[in-house]
Amino acid sequence: MKTDRATAARRRRLIMRAVESAILLLVLFLILFPILWMALTSFKRPVDLFDLTLVFTPTLDNFRTIFAAPWNIGQTLLNSTIVAGLTVAISIPFSTLAAYAFSRFEMRFKHALFFTILATQFIPAVVVVLPFYLLFRDLGLLDTHFALVIVNLAIVTPFAVWMLKGFLDAVPTESEEAALVDGATRLRVILDIVVPMVWPGVLVTAVFCFILTWNEFLFALILTRDDAVTLPVGITRFRTERGDLWELIAAAGILISIPMFLLASVIQRHFVRGMTGGAVK
Amino acid sequence: MADVALRRVSKNWGSFVAVRDQSLEIRDGEFMVLLGPSGCGKTTTMRMIAGLEEPSSGDILIGGQRVNDLPPRDRDIAMVFQSYGLYPHMTVAENIGYPLKLRGIKGAERDARVRAAAAKVELEPLLARRPKELSGGQRQRVALARAIIRRPTVFLMDEPLSNLDAKLRVSTRAEIKHLQHELGVTTVYVTHDQIEAMTLAHRVAVMNHGEIRQLATPEVIYDRPADLFVAGFIGSPPMNLVAGTHEEGVFTAPGGLRAVTRVARHAGRAVLGIRPEDVTVAPAGAGDVDAAIYAVELTGDAVLVTVRIGEARLIAKADRTWRAEPGSAVALRFDATRLHLFDADTTKRLNPE
Repeated sequence: MKTDRATAARRRRLIMRAVESAILLLVLFLILFPILWMALTSFKRPVDLFDLTLVFTPTLDNFRTIFAAPWNIGQTLLNSTIVAGLTVAISIPFSTLAAYAFSRFEMRFKHALFFTILATQFIPAVVVVLPFYLLFRDLGLLDTHFALVIVNLAIVTPFAVWMLKGFLDAVPTESEEAALVDGATRLRVILDIVVPMVWPGVLVTAVFCFILTWNEFLFALILTRDDAVTLPVGITRFRTERGDLWELIAAAGILISIPMFLLASVIQRHFVRGMTGGAVK
Repeated sequence: MADVALRRVSKNWGSFVAVRDQSLEIRDGEFMVLLGPSGCGKTTTMRMIAGLEEPSSGDILIGGQRVNDLPPRDRDIAMVFQSYGLYPHMTVAENIGYPLKLRGIKGAERDARVRAAAAKVELEPLLARRPKELSGGQRQRVALARAIIRRPTVFLMDEPLSNLDAKLRVSTRAEIKHLQHELGVTTVYVTHDQIEAMTLAHRVAVMNHGEIRQLATPEVIYDRPADLFVAGFIGSPPMNLVAGTHEEGVFTAPGGLRAVTRVARHAGRAVLGIRPEDVTVAPAGAGDVDAAIYAVELTGDAVLVTVRIGEARLIAKADRTWRAEPGSAVALRFDATRLHLFDADTTKRLNPE
């Protein structure tokens, strides 16, 4: 009797696990299939393009083509790297200081200010893209890296401040106070003590900002024409009078995705590693 | 070395008063313990001396100089925190040497001083480790070494032993006392543990509700508590406090308790205090008051006898070989020279004339 119930329970557990696995596989398939399809397409010759078969002769021609004239995807790749790199390099130090102030200091209207910073992000990009266009046109900054960096800073900094404050709030303040008493200025405390302790959080935030900037499309589309075109906008050039060049779009898509995959794996590794062990208690 | 003074210092957060208009003079080289239950304002007081908290009013002086507007780094103090406050990404040596690094002391001199400070707290073999590879006691010794490395004018210690286990607490306590004696640095030490206060302090400031209730040497705090709070807070097991009435030098309480107090003036409601070790258990009829045994507890070094007199329960400390059955009748004898009388209304001590 008892063993019967035990086997029944075990069977139910097995079935549950099978159902779980099936659901997981389905979700995974939904997420991964488009990526897989893109990857396959990027290695196909145009004749195989609309063939649904998985067996074809792979070629690197598409990658060669997009790097050559007239596409010159290398330039847009460089533009994207410059814009995303500069945005992160500028945003992270300032966001860290701002997040530290929000996390540690008492000030008037602190909560109102903090929510205002995030609220700026609730305004849809399409609403402000035209004013931005006019502004940069009058300043003569259209089609420059500078304009894109400024716009992207406005987008990522609020998120960075918000994220970093979360990480900073989780760090106990005793080590900082010890450093203040030991003779450090507030800035020294941040550089010597706080940043090393929240380093994984800073890294995660930086990667997040990089991804946001890297994928940003609307502003780059409106504010650039030739010189400062970024990768996502560059891809639109493959829609030509001759039709959509899917094999080239896929190859460029792979190019966009590779850094994301690399960064995601970096985040993952640092995300689980806590640095605060042993500081307090 | 320097003296520390608080002049009418208050600290409020909104309507909450953490420290209420307190003045305190800490002498050069003195070991001052701020003692009190949690939330009594002792840590806030220390943090104001450190500069980590700004007083709402009043002045703080270190070495005669007003330091209210100085940041912590300019006060020449060192602090040991309850949870150590170590730098987790630095080695033990880097932790200890950090105050010197901030002062631009480099290379061989810094190494030598780190080594010397580490030697004082027996940490030399661990200099290359990181805090997370150390035990709690070792971590607290790192914090101590970091505090002593640059010979500050004032040491501040915020419950440095409370995260250690009981055995380690005793040995670290002795180390702290030894270090303070050897270095002769003015020390302010915050604790809620009365044993730490009694063993370490030159003088103890007993605090409650943001006020210093008594400031005196450990002996005076123990032998002549200033009010009911101090009387009940100091001592383990705590002082027996019996409510009753006092008239013409005689205290009486329900249940037949009667004691001659040598306090002539007070008449009215009063509380009699007797420490458990000042009560002797005698055979029934042979003491000051008869009582029935409520519980007998062996602590190892003594036997705690709880008896009932009327509504009140009293604890007596008997010899560790003493035995009796609960419910049996005994008598208590009080040491008449060690009775404490308090005014029940003001809670203040009434001294014999």
